[in-house]
Amino acid sequence: MEIEHLWPILFISLHAMVPITLAAIGEIIEESAGLFNIGLEGMILISALAGALGAEYFGSAIGGLLVGAGSGAVLGVIFGLLNTYGRGDQLITGVGINLLALGFVAFMLINLGAAGFHSVPRDVQIKLIPLGVGSLSPLVLVTILLAIIVYWVLNRTQLGIRIKAVGENPAAADVAGIRVNAMRLGAAIVAGALVGLAGAYLSVDWFGSVTKEISAGRGFIALAVVVFSGLNPLLALFGGFIFGFFDGFATWVSTYPKIKDIIPWQFVAMVPYIVTLLVVAGVIGRVRFPKALGIPYLRE
Amino acid sequence: MRIFRIKVAAILIALVALVGGPFIGTAVAAGKIALVTDVGGRGDLSFNDMGFKGADEAAAEFGLELVSIQSTSANDYLPNLQMAAKSGDFDIIIGVGFLLADAMAEVADQHPDQKFAIIDVTWLGKPNLMEVGYEENKGSALVGALGAMVAAHYGYDKIGAVLGIEIPVLYKFEAGYRFGMHWGNAKYAAVTGKKADVGLLYKYTGTFDDIAQGKIATEAMLAQGAGLIYNVAGPLGIGDLEAITEHLEAKGKTAGPPFMIGVDANQDWMGDGERVLASMMKRVDFGVYQAVEAVVNGTFEGGVQVLGPNNGGIKMSGEAELADFITFGINGGKITESDRGRITDNWLAMRSAVPSWIWDAVDELSAKIGSGEVEVPCVWCADSIDQIRADWPDNVD
Amino acid sequence: MGSKYRFRSLNKYLNPINESLLAGAIGLAIGAIIMVGLGYSPLDAYSSLLRGSFGSVYSWAESLANATPLILTALTFAIAMRGGLFNIGAEGQLYIGAIAAVSVSLIQISAPFHLIIALVAAMTAGALWSLPVAILKLTRGVHEVISTIMLNWIARFFAFYMIANVLMDPVRGEKTISIAETSRFARILPGSSLNYGIVVSALAVLLILFLLWRTTAGFELRAAGHSQESSNYAGISYKKQVLRAFLLGGVLAGLAGAVQVMGRPPTYALISGLPQMIDLGFDGIAVAMIGRNHPVGIIFAAIFFGGLMVGGRMMQMSAGVPLELVRIVEGAIILALAVPELKRIFYVVRKKFARKEQRGGN
Repeated sequence: MEIEHLWPILFISLHAMVPITLAAIGEIIEESAGLFNIGLEGMILISALAGALGAEYFGSAIGGLLVGAGSGAVLGVIFGLLNTYGRGDQLITGVGINLLALGFVAFMLINLGAAGFHSVPRDVQIKLIPLGVGSLSPLVLVTILLAIIVYWVLNRTQLGIRIKAVGENPAAADVAGIRVNAMRLGAAIVAGALVGLAGAYLSVDWFGSVTKEISAGRGFIALAVVVFSGLNPLLALFGGFIFGFFDGFATWVSTYPKIKDIIPWQFVAMVPYIVTLLVVAGVIGRVRFPKALGIPYLRE
Repeated sequence: MRIFRIKVAAILIALVALVGGPFIGTAVAAGKIALVTDVGGRGDLSFNDMGFKGADEAAAEFGLELVSIQSTSANDYLPNLQMAAKSGDFDIIIGVGFLLADAMAEVADQHPDQKFAIIDVTWLGKPNLMEVGYEENKGSALVGALGAMVAAHYGYDKIGAVLGIEIPVLYKFEAGYRFGMHWGNAKYAAVTGKKADVGLLYKYTGTFDDIAQGKIATEAMLAQGAGLIYNVAGPLGIGDLEAITEHLEAKGKTAGPPFMIGVDANQDWMGDGERVLASMMKRVDFGVYQAVEAVVNGTFEGGVQVLGPNNGGIKMSGEAELADFITFGINGGKITESDRGRITDNWLAMRSAVPSWIWDAVDELSAKIGSGEVEVPCVWCADSIDQIRADWPDNVD
Repeated sequence: MGSKYRFRSLNKYLNPINESLLAGAIGLAIGAIIMVGLGYSPLDAYSSLLRGSFGSVYSWAESLANATPLILTALTFAIAMRGGLFNIGAEGQLYIGAIAAVSVSLIQISAPFHLIIALVAAMTAGALWSLPVAILKLTRGVHEVISTIMLNWIARFFAFYMIANVLMDPVRGEKTISIAETSRFARILPGSSLNYGIVVSALAVLLILFLLWRTTAGFELRAAGHSQESSNYAGISYKKQVLRAFLLGGVLAGLAGAVQVMGRPPTYALISGLPQMIDLGFDGIAVAMIGRNHPVGIIFAAIFFGGLMVGGRMMQMSAGVPLELVRIVEGAIILALAVPELKRIFYVVRKKFARKEQRGGN
């Protein structure tokens, strides 16, 4: 393997990091507030579609990203309402969103045309930044920035303390005058917008198309990254990157003819998962979650 | 207590609804065909979409009603076929894909009066079942030869193939592609007098869904100097093409090389007509259409039909189909009517930039394969993929 | 709120059933609105859904056949959940169980023992695949969500490798060797997919019921799930409890894989890409949650879920509703199931209607 191949692998890793990390940061906000959403996969899927359509409708990539984020926020409203004032079961809601999205996106794609995928015209896709050694999506920078901002908000501001209070001890937060359900709903909406941005990135930037299974398990990887991070957005950035790196690296390396003779591709494909597991077991270890995570708040 | 009574009533109503189910009937329409697709379902840009296209066209042509039954998992194949057969509503039930083989064998035996057809299966042998197989290895040999010659012409020393999950159907594609590459190398040397040493990079990605794997594999192959990428993984082609487009963009170009080679359908219209050099067309739509036509004409009989280069079932894309598939793309929402002229012009320019002797050579190979003068290795016939890989090596250090 | 008192009455048992039925109705109503909006007839659609899922002996058989593996994977999730753990590893463990069951067909053993050995192998394999989850949790504090998701993917690629390179059928390379005749579950209803594998699922339910509510181990597990602190205080070993939940879960998930490949006709082999296995584990999570993590609830939920899949077929066939829309309806039903407060909204609406009626009567 030649040294100049390191650059493209680095860019692949960064590009693969974006959707996982954005969704993970969203989930971190939500979980900090006590909501556990396993519907990330479905939300990414729907926003990918919405983002593609939005980009076309407004004739701009930014428009597409905003529509994607907006559709994610709408799903966040639904999830938030059902699980705060509706006192719903968060796990079931998440599973429901995943199932609904799978049907909805496939159904819409068929109704949009016969081909089963929908493509975003070149001129309304995100323009990559040419860096000489390769091209980088501006969303990579946005993701890094968002991770830092969310970290700062959660750990250094009054708002962050309130969000965490709601997740940690909602009854006490309530007594202290924080409106628990409103706070959780707000967290769910912001989280939804971030997850939606992750979906729109897939269609408007990374692939330039939507297919019915475009998310391909990234929502679940993001869930794992959230656990990996222990609700720290900066660690989620790192987690998304190492997963993206090993995923890209594994695929990359297994196109080399000689590698195939040594290791079957199935074992190469396992690498990102094994590495993630090893990193968590070896470095990260035990993480602590908010006490009231997953529990609807009922005022006594 | 009142609430309790209402609850009991609700449960009773629900129970009655369940038991009463069988007595709710529906009207039976005459002239229906059923298309049972595999788990990929519609929108796979591959044989399910092509199968649907054929059934849709046949239904329109012969005034039949098309019922498409998609399977959620492999567990659905038997009950899907069974339920369609039990209903007795259908003039023919068509299964798309070799995964349905075992279920089809069982259901066809149980319903001897029902007519069936199955795509990609050739080994069941039932009187009421038409089996349609394809010679993908031969079509892949054509694009492999084209790929090697074009790569050599443009100064590349490798061609690539991005494949899906490692299954024998895909071995047929790989085997033919390998063989074709070696044939193309020899031909290039013979015609130009220059040595051609194009090698093969290939990758089984283990998925038919995750576009990222197609994109990453293609980026890796392009970085290693591949001049063409053969998409043998349905939707992953979107990722392949995106990688090629970005690769060109970074050089300030829009037209290939590097090119993609499409699969199953004619995908030449993708990439604005200037980045997909050719497609290995597997006309699943022909097979499905023929089966329906045979039923309508009363000529249906069981047995195996092999579609290949000789009867147009397998073919490298040409100008003749381009217009048809641009329409397919317009229906798919990817392009609009206003793009038609530009795409056609781009495509013609792309093709004429490649020396005409190369196209003649591909035609020659096609004719020789058709006449049996050239024999393409075939995985399910006799050879194992390991043997084929040894006989027709990667040719890469 | 009166809900505290209601729990003491007979309603304790009726309440969840009611909730589920009502949620089902609301979900169907949402689905109907979507269908009307898109120009399909919800009446046709739902009558064919019912006919397809529970309208005949055959359709009952198909619904039960779908329920068979789901019961087992749902139990995997439910046991962990009862112990306060979030085990989503059934998906991977069932692949490994199925691989083990097929491997046993490499050797020849006489009739009853072959089947039993295959089941034992699958249970062992499932438990072994689950073991790292427990060990990593206990020794390194690795959360089970992360380890199970990762192990699911690893299991998938491992299974791909085994199918393509070790267990492959010499003639038909797209699948593994077939399960030996001596190691298959016979069909219960000819022509259908229902087989005696369902007995395994039924026995598993009984066993888990007994285990959870009639043994000390079960009590300890439930106590730990209820409150970690108080169970520690009561001297219940956390280690034991984690190991039990994951190993037992692995055994059940392994069984699910085995039952599916040994019983579900017509292939009796694993196909490359695992199309007959994928999502059984994740669907099991949905089933467990609909069934409120109770073994008996899981039986009904699994039959309901399995029935939806079968009915979806009939919706496609006789009402022309595409499968994608069937999935939307399923999603709506599950969303409705998630929210107990929907019931309250329903009662409020009903009360208003009742008042209107009274006024109209006057």
